[in-house]
Amino acid sequence: MTELSAQVLTKRFGGVHAVEDLSFTAPAGKITGFLGPNGAGKTTTLKMLLGLVEPSSGEALVGGRHYRELPQPRRVLGAVLETTGVHPGRRAGDHLRILAGAAGLAPGRVGEVLEQVGLKDAVRRRIGGFSMGMRQRLGLAAALLGDPEVLVLDEPANGLDPEGMAWLRKLLRGLAAEGRTVLVSSHVLSEVAQTVDDVIIINKGRLRYSGPLAGLAAGPVVARTSRPQELAGLLAGRSFRVEISGDSALNIFGATAEEVGEAAAAAGIPLSGLAGAGASLERAFLKLTSSDVESTAATGPAAAGMGAYHE
Amino acid sequence: MNKLIGNEFLKLRTVRSGWMLLAAAQVMVIAGISGAVARVPTAQLSGVAVKGLGHIGLISLFTLVLGIVAVAGEYRHRTIIDTFLSEPRRGRVIAAKTAVYFVAGLGFGILSAATAIITTTIWLAARGGSFDLGSTEIWRTVLGGIAWNAMFGAIGVGVGALIRNLTGAIVAALAWIALLEGIAGQLLGGAGRWLPYRSGAALANTPSMDGAGGGLSQWQGGLVLAAYAVLFIVLAVSVTILRDVT
Repeated sequence: MTELSAQVLTKRFGGVHAVEDLSFTAPAGKITGFLGPNGAGKTTTLKMLLGLVEPSSGEALVGGRHYRELPQPRRVLGAVLETTGVHPGRRAGDHLRILAGAAGLAPGRVGEVLEQVGLKDAVRRRIGGFSMGMRQRLGLAAALLGDPEVLVLDEPANGLDPEGMAWLRKLLRGLAAEGRTVLVSSHVLSEVAQTVDDVIIINKGRLRYSGPLAGLAAGPVVARTSRPQELAGLLAGRSFRVEISGDSALNIFGATAEEVGEAAAAAGIPLSGLAGAGASLERAFLKLTSSDVESTAATGPAAAGMGAYHE
Repeated sequence: MNKLIGNEFLKLRTVRSGWMLLAAAQVMVIAGISGAVARVPTAQLSGVAVKGLGHIGLISLFTLVLGIVAVAGEYRHRTIIDTFLSEPRRGRVIAAKTAVYFVAGLGFGILSAATAIITTTIWLAARGGSFDLGSTEIWRTVLGGIAWNAMFGAIGVGVGALIRNLTGAIVAALAWIALLEGIAGQLLGGAGRWLPYRSGAALANTPSMDGAGGGLSQWQGGLVLAAYAVLFIVLAVSVTILRDVT
């Protein structure tokens, strides 16, 4: 079990505070979204986790250790940074052979990861001719070479079409289900909302929210049913906070629409309406990351199962 | 370390720029020697072999660029991120590159020497001259030239790590050789013979560009150039460890 963590992490470039007093944990077995607008300090934070940028103060740790102290780093962590480059004149297979060689991995892994990301036919092609989507897949193949316990992906949705996104989501789900830690950065919540379990939101280098995605929404999921009492009891039993409004509507806090729908279906309770918190998720995200808002909500952990907002 | 060294060779082999530099170097050797031997008056034909073989050492310009591209090129294409993710001990990466580009420089030197000897033999035969392969002078020029290539390969790695902008590094290196060292040499007077390019010329047993006499002996040139290589690599390692990879 290898988790990623930042402890009062700070990075200043000259007088600019790129990252300030940032603390979070991305646990094993989950997909954690690392969100914030462009320039929020996401990539700088990831580079500190990867030992590429030295923190001004604080710690960035992989399984409790500094990346640079890992004896075989690629077997522990695979990363695709937005700025990771490839030599355009090199063939895809050679590129991965070099990475495998540098990490002391068996050359046989090259074929395996190319198959895993669906690039098996491109092994002899020069990377210069690749589309954005193919480059994203190649980057992912490189990250997977060492069969790592932790995967860090910086803006993986860039350049992927909807089909590619769905494919990536499935791949990451599978990896998290195997108990791996997955950290995915993005500046657009909607790109990763369907993929992540937890989110860490930063703005101007500071933590604004960390916790389950569902807890981010200020508003509840609204469900309509002819058997409101029954559904309320069922959902309360799953430790969601439920309000009954009127004679057929329920407001459910801390849950996603999927969770409510599945719970109702499993119990055979018919729903006549279900409105997710999706829209309010996006609103909450924008509110947290808009530049003029300094304090959004109460500090400290909110209700059980919810995340914590930060000033 | 062996793993890193092997890997750097693989990186070098799998892009075309190295092979193109090697080919261009051979063209330059053939053209340079042809020019030197074809136009010389028959009376001076005996001394022309050493002069022509001096072109082997001049290929060090190519190995310098090759070494620069090895590091600054990785920053340019941002492959340096993957390199440092695989081996976070950055000093070892620079050390491996130094070893590899020293050897690559040797390879350039040896191939250029073969090309130079063959070209000289053919030209002298054509002009009715003779080529004494038993001459110490000739072998001092050939072996010194090869050593210069190797040293400049290693120094190039240092330059590329210190100036991470690829274009900036190549321009700085070429400007130094074409212009700045000449100016520095004039300013320094006699002490100018300790400058890197002149040390290399001394090592290769060839007169420096401006023909200034009173240079270093071949051994001194070799030692001074080795000292430059060590200095550049020590600086390159410390700077590479300290600087953030942004």
